[in-house]
Amino acid sequence: MEELKYILIFGSFHSLTYLVFSLGFSLVFGVARLPNLTYGALYVLTGYSTYVFLNYLNTPLYLAVPVSILLTAAISLAIGESVIKPAIKFPVSVFITTVAVAYIFEELFSIQMGLKPVTLPLYPGTTSILGIPVSNHWLLITAVCLAMTLALLAFLYKTSTGKAIRAVAESWEESMRLGINPLRVLRATFLISGVYAALTGILLAPLKALTPTAGWSPLFAAFAIVVMGGIGNILGTVVASLVYGFIEQSMVYVLGGGIARVAPLILILLILVFRPHGLFGRGE
Amino acid sequence: MSRLAFSKPSKLKRVGSILPALFIAAIYMLLPTFGLRGFWLDVLTRVNIFLLITLSLDLYSGTTFYLNLGVPFTVGCAAYSLALLNRYLGVPVEYAILPSAAISLVLSLVIFLPSLRVRGAYFSIMSLLLPIVMAGIVTSQPFSLYLGGEGGITYSPLFFSYARGLPVKERAFFLQSTYFYISSIAAIIAFIVSYKVAYSDFGFMMRSVGQDELLAEASGVNTVRVKLVGFLISSSLASFAGSIYAAMRPPVTVDVFIPANTLVPPLTAVILGGMGTIVGPTIANYFILLVYEALWDVIGRWRVVLYMCLLIVLVLLRPQGIVYYLYTKLKRLVSSKIAELTAGV
Amino acid sequence: MVKLLVCDSVTKKFGGIVALDKVSLEVSKGELLGLIGPNGSGKTTLVNVISGVITPDEGRIVFEGKDITRLKPHRRVALGISRIFQGMRVYPYLPVYYNVSLSARSVYKDARLARAKTTWALTITRLLAEAGELPINLTPYKLRMVELARALVTGPKLVLLDEPFAGLSPSEIDEVIEIVKKLNENGLAFIIVEHKLRYLMKLVNRVVVLNEGKKIFEGKPDEAVSNEEVARVYLGVL
Ligand SMILES: Nc1ncnc2c1ncn2[C@@H]1O[C@H](COP(=O)(O)OP(=O)(O)OP(=O)(O)O)[C@@H](O)[C@H]1O
Ligand SMILES: [Mg+2]
Repeated sequence: MEELKYILIFGSFHSLTYLVFSLGFSLVFGVARLPNLTYGALYVLTGYSTYVFLNYLNTPLYLAVPVSILLTAAISLAIGESVIKPAIKFPVSVFITTVAVAYIFEELFSIQMGLKPVTLPLYPGTTSILGIPVSNHWLLITAVCLAMTLALLAFLYKTSTGKAIRAVAESWEESMRLGINPLRVLRATFLISGVYAALTGILLAPLKALTPTAGWSPLFAAFAIVVMGGIGNILGTVVASLVYGFIEQSMVYVLGGGIARVAPLILILLILVFRPHGLFGRGE
Repeated sequence: MSRLAFSKPSKLKRVGSILPALFIAAIYMLLPTFGLRGFWLDVLTRVNIFLLITLSLDLYSGTTFYLNLGVPFTVGCAAYSLALLNRYLGVPVEYAILPSAAISLVLSLVIFLPSLRVRGAYFSIMSLLLPIVMAGIVTSQPFSLYLGGEGGITYSPLFFSYARGLPVKERAFFLQSTYFYISSIAAIIAFIVSYKVAYSDFGFMMRSVGQDELLAEASGVNTVRVKLVGFLISSSLASFAGSIYAAMRPPVTVDVFIPANTLVPPLTAVILGGMGTIVGPTIANYFILLVYEALWDVIGRWRVVLYMCLLIVLVLLRPQGIVYYLYTKLKRLVSSKIAELTAGV
Repeated sequence: MVKLLVCDSVTKKFGGIVALDKVSLEVSKGELLGLIGPNGSGKTTLVNVISGVITPDEGRIVFEGKDITRLKPHRRVALGISRIFQGMRVYPYLPVYYNVSLSARSVYKDARLARAKTTWALTITRLLAEAGELPINLTPYKLRMVELARALVTGPKLVLLDEPFAGLSPSEIDEVIEIVKKLNENGLAFIIVEHKLRYLMKLVNRVVVLNEGKKIFEGKPDEAVSNEEVARVYLGVL
């Protein structure tokens, strides 16, 4: 019974963070038609850069966080422009360059920061939900994630750049006929997805230990969620995030954290076996 | 009429082109008798075995363009199977090589089968994911209890029981040189098999899948079968690499699943040598791995960063051209085909 | 007599777009059928459904009395349905020889037979001299010949040509027509999708006209030209 409560509460929290993380991932995935394998590294990068700002450069938190986010967004843009865009017509090249960038980051982090987990400051205090003590940090995360989801929806449906992103994700040829430049749209998605990776990185680093390899598992989760939900299908992504978050947390509380690592693997395998084109439509 | 197309290459000429390769292979195999031993003989043994991994990668990913980042998974499963067979069933490593390679092959096939059936990014994502999952599993509870955790599993290596009967002075060199010969023979067999497959009709079907899978499917190629069989051949190379390496170098640790150890050098060799050419990556394998080994003392872990930067530059310089210089080679191959054809008409 | 190909009220939707709306179609052995219609009317989709590249949402495809609606594309090739794609589509890094021989090798288990068939296909498309060339070095006309050779090498009974004249000069089109006619005399059936009606109408025995996924006309080429509805959808083209 106790476990069920934990699963319910933390499943919801995790689902929400996965949703935000996946939305950022799906922007580039939808437009470029290729998964950005550096996305997990961006998540870790923000955690480490905030850590460095706080502990080595003694920057105050209210400065360290926005600077780190901007830095990650800029790096995301730089990666996209330099290693994804030039090879976009040749998927295997993009896989190689992006995985290479991810490995470079991983090595840099472990050379410079070591393998010992680091953490960022937690938002203080706890609140009791259904009799379970929950860190107030989770409430902060919930607020920020909800705001970011709504912001992205507003951006995609109300602004011209957002509409262009949706058009290109739908069809490159059609959008070009409408006078949209897909490559410029791609640039916008690199930037925005960088912000989304960065924010989730900063928010989760205090709760999850930050290690050089910590970015992989969210990357796979995002891939599984976006494919399951259907690329460009926001509602599908929401449902898929819920499914993923609850499956993962159930595994954590029932089977233990070690075995929960295989959650994304199991999910991708299930999708592949039963619905290779996504549960909710257009998945490549 | 093209002048090139109709000259039939003579048997003598073909033997002539193989001769230098045979010569180099012979000299190479004789290195221990010329006095090579110690650290660099061990390194060459390692590099020989890595050729199996490089060829595994080139044979599948170089032709089908499905990037198999999961090579460490196959290698690692074979290595751990060998260690586990030895620890829990008491199978001596000499007899565990074949079964452990088979176990790893079956495991890889079963887990990759769903992603081989479809087009798109699934395969590469799955392949990237698997070694990371395995590295997590072998170091975390409760699996680490049975899989040796961080320290890995140790056992007595290949031919160790025989070597114990030798005078103490000779033991080390006996093992070293035997391992070197075994790995060299494995490398030569792997090269011949890969070459034959890559330039057979089947190999060209794999290439057609890589260049336009939908077109291949719509013009008669059973793409799923081609991918499956190609993956099987390629993975058996990686499985043997894992088994043989583990048999020679206990203990088996989580290191086998770490891309910096078992993926970065072969991948760089494949790209540097030219995807799908087999010959190029083979030559590059020796160069890339020897340099990688030597770099450890100079720049330590930065060698991974260096190699990955090299990889990015190589790929970006020729985003589609990584296959470009197959051209001249293929032209010759076709001309001999045409010669056969017109001779029959 | 069993028809060579029967499409029975085939429907295919892409999201909201109905690309094919209950289209029925029959092709007899050795027939030359023209498939026309304005842009986006569903011609390529129909070719895709017949060749198995996409599966229809509803309806059946029957080839020589055998239901092939769910059959994989490569199995249909073995049964005798070949196609070429709209636009030039070849393996960019494989020489002409392999572009053609791989299809033969997939269908004929005997390597020598496959090689003989490849030679035959390269001969009738006059590609023997270019067998070692890469597609990048070929003219559009030669590329079209490569596609044609690949379609013919598997010994088809029905060949689907999606805009075979596109990008060719008038004299080159005449040469393609000549090859098609010669093959047709030997009993090979064709479905030809084309916008260049001037050439098509002289070549085919019968045309089917699609508009917005619906079949709006079927009959002799000259009747099509005088048909009101066809003229309306083709306003200014005929
Ligand atoms: N894979 C697809 N996904 C989504 N929509 C598609 C797909 N293929 C075709 N369509 C849509 O189906 C409709 C019919 O397309 P189709 O390509 O069959 O037309 P067509 O008659 O061949 O046109 P054209 O003469 O321009 O080649 C179009 O509206 C097109 O946008
Ligand atoms: Mg069309």
